[in-house]
Amino acid sequence: MTGKIERIRSESAAPSHPARYRLLLGSLALALLLGILLAACVGVVPIPMHDLARSLLGGQALNADQHLILFTIRLPRIFAAAMAGAALSVSGLLFQGLFRNPLADPYVIGSSGGALLGASFGVFILPQLSMAGFGATALLGVLGAICSITLVYMLASVNGRTPVVALLLAGFAVSTMLSYCSYFLEVMDHDFGAGMRVLSSWLHGTINQPTWPQLAVLAAMVLVGIAASFPLTRRLNTLALGEEYAAHLGLHVQQTRIAVIVIGSLLTAAAVALGGLISFVGLIVPHMMRMILGPDHVRLLPATALAGGIFLLFADTVARTIIAPSELPVGVLTAFIGGPFFLYLLRQAKREVFA
Amino acid sequence: MTPLLRFSSLGFSFADRTIFTALDASVPPDASIALVGPNGCGKTTLLRLAAGTLKPTHGDVRLHGKSLHTLSQRTIARSIALVPQNVEVSFGFTVQQFVEQGRTPYLKMFGGMSVADRDAVEHAMELTDTCSLRSRIFNQLSGGERQRVKIALGLAQQPSLLLLDEPTQHLDIGRQLELIDLVKRLRRHGIAILASMHELTLIEGVFSQVWMLSPGEPLRQGSPQEMLRPDLLSRVFDCPPLSGPVLLKPSLKQSERVRV
Repeated sequence: MTGKIERIRSESAAPSHPARYRLLLGSLALALLLGILLAACVGVVPIPMHDLARSLLGGQALNADQHLILFTIRLPRIFAAAMAGAALSVSGLLFQGLFRNPLADPYVIGSSGGALLGASFGVFILPQLSMAGFGATALLGVLGAICSITLVYMLASVNGRTPVVALLLAGFAVSTMLSYCSYFLEVMDHDFGAGMRVLSSWLHGTINQPTWPQLAVLAAMVLVGIAASFPLTRRLNTLALGEEYAAHLGLHVQQTRIAVIVIGSLLTAAAVALGGLISFVGLIVPHMMRMILGPDHVRLLPATALAGGIFLLFADTVARTIIAPSELPVGVLTAFIGGPFFLYLLRQAKREVFA
Repeated sequence: MTPLLRFSSLGFSFADRTIFTALDASVPPDASIALVGPNGCGKTTLLRLAAGTLKPTHGDVRLHGKSLHTLSQRTIARSIALVPQNVEVSFGFTVQQFVEQGRTPYLKMFGGMSVADRDAVEHAMELTDTCSLRSRIFNQLSGGERQRVKIALGLAQQPSLLLLDEPTQHLDIGRQLELIDLVKRLRRHGIAILASMHELTLIEGVFSQVWMLSPGEPLRQGSPQEMLRPDLLSRVFDCPPLSGPVLLKPSLKQSERVRV
């Protein structure tokens, strides 16, 4: 009896077991689905679960107000939060593999700041280019993220490695500078119009209320980004051996680096367009998944994407209900959770930091 | 017999320093060569040139008669495996996951490892006696374990030539002898070996040839008996003469004295 339990324990402790892995992915997917349904029920105007279910299956269970709230406000917001969480977590995973450093979060290393500045240019300088709400801003956001991450990488890497201190300092300097550039654009905007409201919510990290066409554009960016990350995962495993060793084994190091920067930036930009500067999600989620699954990026990618969606959906649902009818920017909440977590990870890396 | 690897009038210089000017040598398919020389004479550089990770300034390196720079690094890595001196792995990869990286030159862009890939990994771990370490974290291994696991990664590449960079450094005498045993076993499996060695006492009886690098001089080649002569060593390593018999008949007690 005890022997059997022991055996089950040791099997479940082995994260490489394929059946366990599939079970984990299945549970995460189910949790995300349930989370979406539950989040759709709660809010200032509650919607009972059975009415929601009937309405989603095509029935007429909701009154006009509930229908409006569900389909034009709540569901787009829910999808936006889940997608932003998945995008931030996956780009965090990619950047951590690239920098060979578990502290590389899109917010910490400045790619979110770059995406924000790019998007701000779209809103303030070139508003006439905007299509479907933020077609051009999304594109400029990607460009901004690529530029900032390339800059941080060049500043922080020493012989292909990025020491923690160099990465944090370069990331801090670049992201602070970029955020204040965006703030400067906001101040210089004279008409105090819609652009300013958008930027202010971006700076605080609030999930937007996108329209369905906007959501479709961003969903495409997120899905393309995650799909394009799959062939990179095995390369990131090889890159963990160090650049020279990886190059000896036949990895195209420079190509891999460029691909990770472009795809990570695409995902960061999509996340910024959905919710602005949301800190630490890209740090917490990959780290938790690594604790369960180990460091293999191939396995981490799908789990990280799903868990990121769940995490930010949960955080955003709390953020919009905890002080209802008012609401908290979700960025405040993730900073409350993520800040101490970041310090904990920094403490783990202390030997390297203060060596 | 055509050589497995051939250096022809090989020259290499870093920005401010010339390492080789015209080095000529070849590695036969059944070679076991110890590369010796004082610190900074270019042992690691020569191994990197042989593995294709450094490009020569002039001259070239030929694998089965084909110049390395005409071959893709994937092709090279299927024939030549370089086991570096220091490996720093980020994140807590297990020994199994680490050794699997040796299959990188065989894997296609999409899709995972085939049965043949898994067999190669398994075989490499059996040869190096590392199967029992497979679920340990690589970064937490001891020096001796780490060295064997690094060699397992190299063997997973299924190479004809294994390049070992200071395989016995930082190992205690027991682990050094363990490693020497492994090198002998690999020779029996028909894998050619070129290893840079600091521990001169371990060369005799294991390696059939010694290449001696000395700054500003052409490469010396010969049998261990010819090369490990006290007068030659004291000149090349720039140190007082060593007593002769010590080098040729290594014993555990004396090994400390002759470390050069």
